[in-house]
Amino acid sequence: MARPVSAVPKPAGTKRAETGAATEGRLAPGDAALLTMLHYMKLTRALEYRIERNLYRQGKIVGGVYVGRGQEAISVGAAMHIRRGGDESHDDIVSPSHRDMAVFLMQGFTPALVLAQYMGRRTGPTRGRDGNMHMGDLRHRLVAFISHLGDSIPVAAGTALTFRMHGTDQASFCFFGEGAASRGDWHEGINFAAVMKLPVIFICNNNQYAYSTPVSRQMAVRHLSERAPGYGIPGETADGNDVLEVYDAVGRAVARARRGEGPTLLEFVTFRMTGHSAHDDAGYVPKALFAEWERKDPIRRFEKDLLGRRLVDAAALRGMEARIEAELDEAVAWAEAQPYPEPRECLVGVYHE
Amino acid sequence: MKNPGLPRERLLAMHRFLRLTRMVEEKLSVLYRQGQILGGLYSSLGQEAISVGTACALEPTDLLAPMIRNIGSLLVRGVTPRDLFLQFLGRYDAPTHGKDGTLHFGNVPRRALIGPISHLGTLIPVMAGAALAARMRGQDRVALTYIGDGGSSTGDFHEGLNLAAVLKIPLILVVENNGYAYSTPTERQFRVESLAARGPAYGCASESVDGTDILTVHAATRRALERGRRGEGPTLLECRAFRMRGHAEHDDMRYVPPGLLEAWKDRDPIKRFEAFLAEEGHATPAAMAAVADELAAPLEEAAREAQESPYPPPEETLKGVYREPGYEEPWWPAP
Repeated sequence: MARPVSAVPKPAGTKRAETGAATEGRLAPGDAALLTMLHYMKLTRALEYRIERNLYRQGKIVGGVYVGRGQEAISVGAAMHIRRGGDESHDDIVSPSHRDMAVFLMQGFTPALVLAQYMGRRTGPTRGRDGNMHMGDLRHRLVAFISHLGDSIPVAAGTALTFRMHGTDQASFCFFGEGAASRGDWHEGINFAAVMKLPVIFICNNNQYAYSTPVSRQMAVRHLSERAPGYGIPGETADGNDVLEVYDAVGRAVARARRGEGPTLLEFVTFRMTGHSAHDDAGYVPKALFAEWERKDPIRRFEKDLLGRRLVDAAALRGMEARIEAELDEAVAWAEAQPYPEPRECLVGVYHE
Repeated sequence: MKNPGLPRERLLAMHRFLRLTRMVEEKLSVLYRQGQILGGLYSSLGQEAISVGTACALEPTDLLAPMIRNIGSLLVRGVTPRDLFLQFLGRYDAPTHGKDGTLHFGNVPRRALIGPISHLGTLIPVMAGAALAARMRGQDRVALTYIGDGGSSTGDFHEGLNLAAVLKIPLILVVENNGYAYSTPTERQFRVESLAARGPAYGCASESVDGTDILTVHAATRRALERGRRGEGPTLLECRAFRMRGHAEHDDMRYVPPGLLEAWKDRDPIKRFEAFLAEEGHATPAAMAAVADELAAPLEEAAREAQESPYPPPEETLKGVYREPGYEEPWWPAP
């Protein structure tokens, strides 16, 4: 059984027609890009639904499950700006957080590949050696997610330093949560990037809870972007549930990075619509908060916008959903049929060979 | 310079501590070159007003943790030059009984002193914790510690200061911006004009003051102390000065442009304070010169005593490494 390929072509990256031009100072995506964005938001949600609500509860997932439900607009709006499809001196590089499934998908990981990873199968990206978001692949310009939150910040700064040393205009995208922003590595990495004027876009998904710690116990400032002046870099806070705001803010930060103007610290305010992970009932989160943020759901909001522009109609949305579900049915079936790793392969691929 | 309302005897005491700090360090430098010091020697030349000014502003019950360029703070807290010489010479009667060198000693409960940690920045979360513990015990104590411009780039700085800001811990973090972290100039260390810009980033108060003006340093520390006592949390206090010697005694700092040293020489903290004291009529130049003369003989005596004092006996090597019966609790009695 051949691994299913993704139903939709890879997002086109920074080609002019896709990313659109600035209108009245705000970057607005073209029509095709808007539909690509909606597709990836819906695909992400549907894929994570299957993982968290079906497969995990069926005992088919190895290890924990961390989803980005309610935060899809951040991953998608940002990843639209990642330059792809070229060689090592062209492509951008990205360090996703554990709530950025869409980034993996947009960098070319198929749902089937992701599912093989979650089910610990031999044909997954870590060949069954690691689980959930602990995956990466430099061929897809994906730096593997590092469990120790905050550690990917100096790593991202390092990748950007290589771009600078090679004299290219590539950029490094770095995602993290507001909890990770209290980590020492975060400080060291951002300060280094600021001093060296490195092309990094620091993207915080402020989902208001770091496990059970509310943001009020995480920082004494209202917005994480208030840290930016402390490093001498631009900072901005935007609505993380509005994919177009994300698209605009990240697009401007990427342009600055490519022009050699250094890093930007972006904070996107959102809400973690789940527990920290699938085993966590989030009993410590006031129910009213979930209700409030349910009304701000980024996908429904974006759909409404696109319906208003007459870019889609109800039938088109249903068609999109049906295609996604069909793709996922096929992906799940494929992944479930994949073999587990052979014990004798334990040591293969552990060290550089 | 402007007197924030300190009485004459307080001013003269501060002057005496400034002079004593410099003389102790000059003597240590001589001993170092004679090969008598074990380990490194880190000078606070040009920065003495920061140590003395901040330490004099505290109450004796406030918690104080010096770093490597804060001999002045220790002297203000009552550590004697003799103890310092013993420590630097690695003798048995030293605070660490010859087991460690330089300013690596602490846990002096009756002086509310906590020892420095070599890994720059690590003391910040420790002092945030000490102040938090005092608050949980209902003690009205502010904690103060120091960091350099280089140490401000460490992760611990970030974690410690953020925690203090979130929990409104009464911590005063004095950043001694002396222009160089070893050989790294500040423009390669951070991209802001002043590290006081980091205060708003954490939601805590911050100030940047002239670290060669002891009265300004003292006044700023008092303000930070008041904020801490009022429950308004930590203060990031940047004191700008210049490191007039190498990173340590072995470093000839050829990487520092000579013009910089010349420019900062005019802002010598002792010279400035003495000019102020003379101008305001608190002390005559002759009286101030007499202070140095008075301090000289006891200092020589303390150094001689240390030199004649024995090294630790080898059989003591394992003593005091682990907690033993009779060990004094490193917590401080309530004020």
